[in-house]
Formats: sequence, structure tokens, C-alpha cells
Amino acid sequence: MRPLLHIEAGARTDLGRVRKNNEDCYSIDPSLQLYVLSDGMGGEAHGEVASQLAVQTILTHCRQAENSRTTPIFGEASPDVSERTNRLASAIHLANRKVFEAAASDPEQEGMGATIVAVWIEGQKLSLAHVGDSRAYLLRAGTMDQLTADHSLVAEKVRVGILTPQEADASELQSVLTRAVGTNNTVEVDTDEQVLLVGDFVLLCSDGLTRMVTDPEIASTLLTSASAQESADRLVDLANENGGVDNVSVIVLHVVEKSEGLLQKLKIWKRHSG
Amino acid sequence: MSRLVLKFESSSLKEVPLGTRPVTIGRAPDNDIQIDNLAVSNYHARVYVEAGSLVVEDLNSLNGSFLNDIRVERAMLKDGDSILIGKHEIQVDQAHDAVLPEDGLRKAPAPRVNETMILDTQERRKLLEMAAAAGERSQLSPERLRVPTLTVASGRTDQKEYRIAGKLTVIGHSKMATVRLRGWFTPEVAAQINKHEDGYYLGRGDRVPKINGVSIQGLTKLNDGDVIEVGRVRLNFLYRE
Repeated sequence: MRPLLHIEAGARTDLGRVRKNNEDCYSIDPSLQLYVLSDGMGGEAHGEVASQLAVQTILTHCRQAENSRTTPIFGEASPDVSERTNRLASAIHLANRKVFEAAASDPEQEGMGATIVAVWIEGQKLSLAHVGDSRAYLLRAGTMDQLTADHSLVAEKVRVGILTPQEADASELQSVLTRAVGTNNTVEVDTDEQVLLVGDFVLLCSDGLTRMVTDPEIASTLLTSASAQESADRLVDLANENGGVDNVSVIVLHVVEKSEGLLQKLKIWKRHSG
Repeated sequence: MSRLVLKFESSSLKEVPLGTRPVTIGRAPDNDIQIDNLAVSNYHARVYVEAGSLVVEDLNSLNGSFLNDIRVERAMLKDGDSILIGKHEIQVDQAHDAVLPEDGLRKAPAPRVNETMILDTQERRKLLEMAAAAGERSQLSPERLRVPTLTVASGRTDQKEYRIAGKLTVIGHSKMATVRLRGWFTPEVAAQINKHEDGYYLGRGDRVPKINGVSIQGLTKLNDGDVIEVGRVRLNFLYRE
């Protein structure tokens, strides 16, 4: 029997202790099982405008696609991934266009942009798409893996082998991105897929968390909290206790087994007999 | 900074900072806080600052806005208040300001280098050139030109050989598995293989797979010729012409 999965979610965004604006934001649609997090950039309050516009566009596009099969696809669909993963990438392509157009129409907002990390879950399958240095992690059976590759200058240099991870951690150029949503008329979106198992944790976060809190601290926080929301709150508190130099945002997903009520059993029975 | 936190069944779904502009709440997608629920009107309510006080105003919604369980048309808000709209709760959080450290720290501007920025065109070109040079080196490695395959050395599976295509390859009993394992007590998802930019990575499912006899710790890159063990099934990972 395939286990029925239930996703318990918690989230939090915080200014941190140094910044004056929170340019991060997130949004969750529980009925769609869609989770989106973004870190904005651009002077004054424009980073906020960019991240909120990007997140809102993604949610709206995915909702539309759920309701209408004829919703157009933006960007190129890849044969390597499912229709749903392609739809999530399409939403990010559309968000890129919207932010880019907004920036182009207002000289004050020129150069604004945002990172995106987004997860869409259907049954046991997780679709993941991202641009920039906001990350997704999977904690499974005590081991935590980063599912996303940062689109930052130092991370790209590490990947081509001209910088060691230690040099990257010490670099002053950590905040320089090689890709962002809204800074160009097109953007390259990375996608990935995972099968979820009962007990898994999925963490989406902005760099304000990962620069302040180590991976083992993150993993132990996820494993020792009473709920996903408590995990999210504790992770943000930890980032602030360790300095809070940047805005910090987290979405925590915990995969639990769904208790089968009578109604669900009836539905399953109906589906199999009908 | 004060904020509104949208909650559903005690989990936060969205947070919106309170500034000079009113925050609108409703079912239509252009609201600052959108609630996709039929019990919520298109433009249901709004929250704004008036004469230094925070105010919630119901916009003649069908099912009403409730402040601390009392239906309101217009009401002043204070820290910790809870607005109920449909089944969603919107919490007022002003205590948030207290978390901020004393002035000394706040006034210091964040170092410029900490500001997130996008790489300028010239720098980007340099990086691409370096990546291209590194790419050329790895082009020489034969793996890039060959098709990754899994050949079954022993154990019960539905085929003897599998070509790996796509980002996700599931090994298990599940219908979505590419490598279908047979037999009783076989887990739905025993292990999975993910395609990354630099190659293929093996990860655990309900079983911890072994590579060349060693149990993996987290996602592990597969090399040409590796022997993967999942339960009683042994698979040979090979790049073929």
C-alpha cells in the first residue's frame, strides 16, 4: 500500500538585526501544496517590490494552470521533467518577465530583482525550481542534502574548480548573484524532482539563514521541534542570535503519514470501485 | 516593523509588512493578502494606518470580518489582535519591533558588499569564459557523450537493463519507478537517482543503498562502473556508447 502523505508546513520571515527593510517574502498555498520563497534585491524598498511581485505571480500562474489546461507555458518545457515541474518553471519565467517589465517602466526601480526557490507537491512527488542563492534542503533519515546549486559568483567558481569551499565561505563576494529573477528579459531556471517519504523534512530558506546557522544546527533544529511552525520560528531565532546580518526567511515542510479517516477510506474505496 | 501574519490552522502562510499603504485582503489575485477560498469576498477587508492607529475595515463583505471573534465593520487594532476572515486568521504583530537591537546597531549601515547584487555584464562574461574553459576539459571525459544505463547483475526486476532518462529515476515497487523491483516486502521507493549538472547522484529511499559495498551517506555521485546494491538487487551503473 502506498502511504498517504500529509505535509505539515511552517514558515517565518524576519528583518534580522541589521537591515532596515525586509526584502524577503514567502507565500504558501496549502490547497495547491505550493510553497514559494524569495529574497529581493535593489536599493531602497525596491527589493521588496521585486520579491513580492515574483511570489504573487508564481502563485497566480499556478492557480490558473490548475483551473485551466490551456494556460500558456512560458519559457521552454523540458522533456526531462514532469508537466508539473515544467509548470513551476513556467511560473518563474512569467515572474521574471513581470519584474523585468516593472523595473523597465520605472527608472527608480531599475535593476531590482529577486531570488526564487519554489516547491510544488503532488502525491509523493516533489517538483522544485529555483533561481539565485535561496536554497532547498532535504533532511532524510538523519542526513541533510542541499538540493539546489547556488547561482552565485563564489558557488559557480567552486563548481568549476577555481575556488575551494573554504575560500568561498570567507569571500566578500558572497552576495554577488549570477542569475536572478527580473534583472534580464529572460532567465534560466533550474529544476529538480524528488520522491517524498514519510519522515522527510524539506527546508526552503534565504541566505540570511545559511550564512548565520550551520547545517548541523539546522538539522538538529528540524529534528527536535514539536511542529514545522516551531522549527521555522526556532531557525529564525537562531539566525538572529548568531548576528542576523541579513533578512531571514524559512519554510519548513514535514512529511507525515496521513491518518486515514472513514471519509478518506470511503473515497479510496469509491475511486477503486468506480 | 509591524506586520500582518496570515494563518491557517496555526501555520503561517504569508507575512505582509505594514507600511504607509493600506493592505488589502480578499479572494482576487491583486490583493496584498489573497485568500483563495469561496467564503472570502473578492475585496473583503483592508488594514491601514489612520492618525497613528492601525484600523481594520470590512469592505461590505458577504461573510464578514471578525476581530477577536466579534463581527466588525471598522475597528482599531492593537498588537496581538486576531482578524478572522472565513477560516483564515490574520494576526497583528507589532511586538516584532521590540526584537530589534538598540539604535547603535541599527544605524550602522549594512556593509555595501553584503547587499545582494547581480553580476555585471563584464564580470559575467569573464566567468562564462572560465566556465567554458573548464567545460572543455570535462568534455574530454567520455561520460558526457554516453548514455547512462543500469544493468541488472542479480535480483528480481522487470527488465534486465534500463536507460536513464530524465531528472528523476526511482528504484522500487512503486508504479512511478523506472526500475521496478519485484517480490514481497519490497519498498515502494527503495532508492532514487537524480540528474545534476555534473552527473548522476544516488540517494536513499526506504532503503540505504550501497555503492561498491559501502552504504551511502546522503546523495552520492555515481561513477562509471559502480555497483549499486538495493536490498537483494545489484545494478551496474555504466555509461554506454
